Amino acid sequence: MDIIVLISLAVLILILSIVVVVQSLRLQKLHQDLLRSQHTAPKVSISQPNADQLQTRLIAAYDTEITKSVAAFGADLHGTSKQLTEQVSRLTTKVIEEELEAYQKTLEEVRQVAIQAMNQIREAVEHQRIELRQGMEQELATERQHLVEKFDAKMGDVISSYISEALGSGVDLGAQMQFILTSLEAHKADIRKDLTDGV
Amino acid sequence: MAYELPPEVYSPHLLESVIYDLEQYTDWYRQTRIQRKVGAAAASQPEPDHSAETELVIRNHFGSQTPTLETLEGLLAELRALKLPEIHVKLAAMPNHEQRRVLVSWFHTNISSRALISFVADRNLGGGIVIRTPNHVYDFTWKQQLMGGASKLAGIIHRV
Repeated sequence: MDIIVLISLAVLILILSIVVVVQSLRLQKLHQDLLRSQHTAPKVSISQPNADQLQTRLIAAYDTEITKSVAAFGADLHGTSKQLTEQVSRLTTKVIEEELEAYQKTLEEVRQVAIQAMNQIREAVEHQRIELRQGMEQELATERQHLVEKFDAKMGDVISSYISEALGSGVDLGAQMQFILTSLEAHKADIRKDLTDGV
Repeated sequence: MAYELPPEVYSPHLLESVIYDLEQYTDWYRQTRIQRKVGAAAASQPEPDHSAETELVIRNHFGSQTPTLETLEGLLAELRALKLPEIHVKLAAMPNHEQRRVLVSWFHTNISSRALISFVADRNLGGGIVIRTPNHVYDFTWKQQLMGGASKLAGIIHRV
């Protein structure tokens, strides 16, 4: 953007210089025309009063032309400067807008890429989390099942040992007889059938 | 008609014991008869001892008749040929005489009057009874009851 402003300023200075050169050339041409007219004009004898009057008129006309030229030059210079200023402003605004638009576009692209990357990362993390959770749950279930099976397998031994330790040698069959006979009564049909089939 | 053992001979061991006693007695009887026939002067061997169950079997079989060598051998053959169903009973301790009588009576009344009942003890049972028939094992022990309620036990442990 700085380069464009510098180039614009250089162009402005160049245009002003051209205007100055053109006006100088016009003044020089007028001066040469005047000198040429002095040399080529027929010798005319003019009285002093007339000469003074002509001199006065010429000076006045010259001043008038100079004034008009300066005014025209000033107006032209003002207009040119204004146009240049407007052009520079317009160009600068356009460049800035384009740059801003490109910057916003780039920024939006970067933002989209970042959002996409974030989403991918989030999905990967979520996927990993689910896998870890499922793995841990599976391991926990396996370990739990293993413990349950181990507990069940050892339960018989535990109960036997506990009963043996708890009862010691004081097993009273007499007290158990009712329970034994009740159990036998409940299954006597099965036992009888089994014994009959087995013989 | 199949030979009927007296209820007192309720186990395979008792039956084997009776057969053994009868074998001994038959051998003694045979030798004594031979010695009498030949008029041997040597003192005959004393009559072998036998158990009360053997005495009962002989009395039930012969009644008031005097046993002969042939009838004794016939009885032995009958006893050896017996194919009786067997029931093995396992308890937490060996039952005393009265407890055996109750259990044997129950089996003979409710299952089969010809069944032979054997008893063994396993202190780990704690309580209850295990019945083994030719084709099946019936476990009515406390241990089995506790094992059967394993899910309840787990629930109780979880609650506690």
